[in-house]
Amino acid sequence: MDHLNRLRQRLLIYTFGLLALEGLACVTAYYLLDLYTSLASPLAAAASLGAGLLLALAAAYTFSKLVIAPIRALWQAVLHLSPEEQGIPAPTLDNLNFGRELVTSLTTQIYQLVSVAEQAKTENIAAAHDLSRNFVAQNLPLPLILLDTTETIKFANETAARYVGIAAQDMIGKNVYMVLDMSFPSEATFDTWLKAVKSKSATAAMSWDRVRLNVRDNHPTRLFDLAAYYNRDNPDRNQTMLVLFDHTKRYSQDDQSVSFMALSVHELRTPLTLLRGYIEVFEDEIGKNIKDPELQGFMLKMHAMAEQLTAFVNNILNVARIDDDQLELKLLSEDWSSTLKSSIEMVSLQAKVRGITLKCRIARNLPAVGIDVLSIREVINNLIDNAIKYSGSSKVIKVDAYLSQEGLVETTIQDFGLGIPTSVMPNLFTKFYRDHRNRAQIGGTGLGLYLSKAIVSAHGGSLWVRSKEGQGSTFGFSLVPYAQLAETLKQGGDQEIIRGAHGWIKNHSLYRR
Amino acid sequence: MDTPPAGRKVLCIEDEHFISELYTRALTKGGYRVETIADGGAALRAAQTDNYDIILLDLMVPTVSGIEILRALRGAGRVPPLKAKIIITTNLEQHDDVRADIEKQADGYLVKAELTPRELIHFLDTVK
Repeated sequence: MDHLNRLRQRLLIYTFGLLALEGLACVTAYYLLDLYTSLASPLAAAASLGAGLLLALAAAYTFSKLVIAPIRALWQAVLHLSPEEQGIPAPTLDNLNFGRELVTSLTTQIYQLVSVAEQAKTENIAAAHDLSRNFVAQNLPLPLILLDTTETIKFANETAARYVGIAAQDMIGKNVYMVLDMSFPSEATFDTWLKAVKSKSATAAMSWDRVRLNVRDNHPTRLFDLAAYYNRDNPDRNQTMLVLFDHTKRYSQDDQSVSFMALSVHELRTPLTLLRGYIEVFEDEIGKNIKDPELQGFMLKMHAMAEQLTAFVNNILNVARIDDDQLELKLLSEDWSSTLKSSIEMVSLQAKVRGITLKCRIARNLPAVGIDVLSIREVINNLIDNAIKYSGSSKVIKVDAYLSQEGLVETTIQDFGLGIPTSVMPNLFTKFYRDHRNRAQIGGTGLGLYLSKAIVSAHGGSLWVRSKEGQGSTFGFSLVPYAQLAETLKQGGDQEIIRGAHGWIKNHSLYRR
Repeated sequence: MDTPPAGRKVLCIEDEHFISELYTRALTKGGYRVETIADGGAALRAAQTDNYDIILLDLMVPTVSGIEILRALRGAGRVPPLKAKIIITTNLEQHDDVRADIEKQADGYLVKAELTPRELIHFLDTVK
């Protein structure tokens, strides 16, 4: 109310100024009369002085009636509005003789000004509570939504509007459940929580992971973590605050690649588990009684095909891991001779059912290699599987392991079948690539070589091919001796080396079994 | 474990009937006593009795999930700790970190499609 006080002071000064002017006028009148009367008799002088005084008094009276009354009325209006002055009534303007119109208009304006000032003040207070004008709330890079006691949206910031795909003003005033259609990964949902805390607690906080926002139209589905804060006695009545942490990118990636993959793989694996189980039961319990060699062969083939299917499922998974950069290998020191033999043993059944002989030659005294056995088994499995597929009428596959001139442990798998035309060589290690000519006759997905190359590279080795059409192909891969690998990493004492699909090396203990 | 492998009691929590049938047959032949429960909630109540030496736990079972069962059985709140060994038997592929988390709480993690019933018995014979 500073401006009112200033106005009051001004008016006071003006009033005194006017009174001083009035006094000055009186004194001047007196001196003029005095000058005139000094020429006449003292009586006349006294009379004229008295007349002058009377005139001045009359002038002062009239002046005060005419001028002071309106000023007084204005002053009273100001005092009436002043918060410091109590009990001063509003001025009565009806009995003003002079300038009533002007004073009425002025007081009206004073009252208007004050009411505008008061309104501005209350609006400022309201604005401070109104988050739509709050810079921080509005520009927070997190979707923020406030709910009142009836779960009606009281505020939604710009980020929330963009996130939900509905303008903020269209969200405000609506029930939160009408605007946000959320799916939770478990039984514990936002509404069950809110119901529970409303009846039990004064304040509560809770967060949920992987909440899905179901949106209409073709707005993309959003995935986020949700945090909610409940405060029963919030003075602004905004009881519940919701903050959304957008993880759409991360979660949808999971959903599309791993979760979809996980579900498909799960669906494949369940019948596979049973198939392998039943085959084992048959082999164990009636296999010995089957005398017909053809039926025995069928039994073996069934077994081999189930193994092949299992390997294929693992291929899909590993390709997904490599593509997501999630393949992690635990490189341990392993004896290559025994690893190779046991790996060949696992695929020998598939060769056997096709009448193919695996001829294996392993050099003596090979150094221990740094490998992730499970992954390398997949490489051997894939390469031998390919050799079997492309053997044609040839019935021999050669496997050799030796120490290369560079000091690496090299393994080759050689078939004497169809061979690879030079035109397709550049695409051989591309995902889903298969030789066009043979696509109709030879099954496969084109994942095997892509996967094998990625796995060997992740081991720090290399995979190569040499082939001549009509004469067969030789695939070879090199592995790094463990000692050399450990030397490179200068982690001599560490028994475990972790590598990713793209060659980087990690030093923590995640591993695959 | 004092009880010799033969006669050890196994709770098989598995909702795929064919698999539990196959496992029950193999385990019984391998000298184990087997009880199979398909429902997660019922299985959890049974497991809480701590009347078993080994629990084979599928992760995808109805009503109460395998993860929740594992958490309930291995949670810090459980006093005294469950004496049974918990072996996860699943065909579900997990993120490596999720799997590492599960493995930390369980005594074994097996992918069903990766092993035949005979191999399962071999594995359980080594679980002490």
